[in-house]
Amino acid sequence: MAVEPSPVEVRKLAAERSVAVTWDDGHESRYPWEYLRGWCPCAECQGHTDARRFNPVSGVDLEGIAPVGRYALTCSWSDGHAAGIYTFAYLRSLCPCPTCRRP
Amino acid sequence: MVDTSKLTTEAVLTALRQVKDPELHQDLVSLGMIKDLSVEDGRVKFQVELTTPACPLKATIQRDCERVLRALPGVREVAIEFGARVRGTKVGAGEVDLLPTVKNVILIASGKGGVGKSTVAVNIAAALAKHGAATGLLDADIYGPSIPIMLGVEEKPGTVTVGGVNKMTPVLAHGIPLMSIGFFVDPGQPIVWRGPMLGKALTQFMQDVHWGDLDYLVVDLPPGTGDVQITFSQQLKVSGAVLVTTPQKVALADVVRGKAMFDKVRIPVLGVVENMSYFICDGCNKRHFIFDEGGGERAATTLGVDFLGEVPLLPQIREHSDAGVPTVLRSPESPAAEAFLAIASKLAVKLALSNARSEGGIRIVA
Repeated sequence: MAVEPSPVEVRKLAAERSVAVTWDDGHESRYPWEYLRGWCPCAECQGHTDARRFNPVSGVDLEGIAPVGRYALTCSWSDGHAAGIYTFAYLRSLCPCPTCRRP
Repeated sequence: MVDTSKLTTEAVLTALRQVKDPELHQDLVSLGMIKDLSVEDGRVKFQVELTTPACPLKATIQRDCERVLRALPGVREVAIEFGARVRGTKVGAGEVDLLPTVKNVILIASGKGGVGKSTVAVNIAAALAKHGAATGLLDADIYGPSIPIMLGVEEKPGTVTVGGVNKMTPVLAHGIPLMSIGFFVDPGQPIVWRGPMLGKALTQFMQDVHWGDLDYLVVDLPPGTGDVQITFSQQLKVSGAVLVTTPQKVALADVVRGKAMFDKVRIPVLGVVENMSYFICDGCNKRHFIFDEGGGERAATTLGVDFLGEVPLLPQIREHSDAGVPTVLRSPESPAAEAFLAIASKLAVKLALSNARSEGGIRIVA
């Protein structure tokens, strides 16, 4: 089984309102807070269907980011929402960089 | 007359650099395993600090050290002692380590019930303890917390104040600290909890136990891939999981499921143990492969994980469990005990290896 990339460093960039993730395969991702929040994977945000949807929430601040086990990260937001568990695979699939977004 | 004046500690260390740890494939000096070296008048004395007291390779290491040192001019005597310092393998888990004094957490899991997972957990823990490692046992099988019976425990956990906080102390069973979810429910009463309740109770349960310093904590999980498994993978810093199975096809399908679950939460599968591998008939002394032969090993190969060993189906294993003493302690010379001791050694070496290679986890700057 191919080993999927894991983050080695996760950095909250308050001035840019984004999160920088450095992956163990060398890739660098930048996630704006609103983008990350909009793609929150929790059942409340995504419902129980397979289709992924973006739920825009504006003006929220990222308060904390923490590992979950050894497979995911969780974010806590200034409006109290903290239910999303972003698996590394999901987080990587969200990477907004031009290389990853190219179909 | 041997000229001992030229023999220096540097010369000894240089010689010892030729000796490689057979598992880690690096030399003992670079691995920092040579301790308390003294060279005096041709007498070389040191301690080899193994990565686990369950190391099966002591004899090989001793022989190799003696061979290179005897070849050094000026050596009259070589005295090697063995010690062990188990290093931690817990990686990248939740924000807080719920078990800070435990170096390695090993989950014993199975895809389905009835494969003898608890028996294997008890005997692996007893085997690690017998090898000399500080080992504890956590019975988290909410459906059938059977370990108190298998270890003949009737008393309940005590309490102790640690840093102003009240904590529970595990019950000592044959020298092995044990906590069981079964201590907190009345006999004959089932645990009927929904997932979130279960998660909370387990987290609390892990936080509130004062284990003391442990090299290994063996955790007996309930069978399957459910809430308890999720809680452990999210809340605990875990070194890895062992999958227990029986040889037949139906059981093996569930091993694949178990492996897939641990892959999802990125907990390394340390290996597969096959239980009830064969029955030796006392009339004909022949091995009867009641549940098929070699299935566990085939599954391990297919999944690309280690096969840790097979345990025969023997009435005495069951009898000893029912009498409250694990086979490993009750009759350590028996074939069953030997199987468990060998499995525990393999497991300990596997953990030492994964520790040597372990990635640093994630750095979070927030």
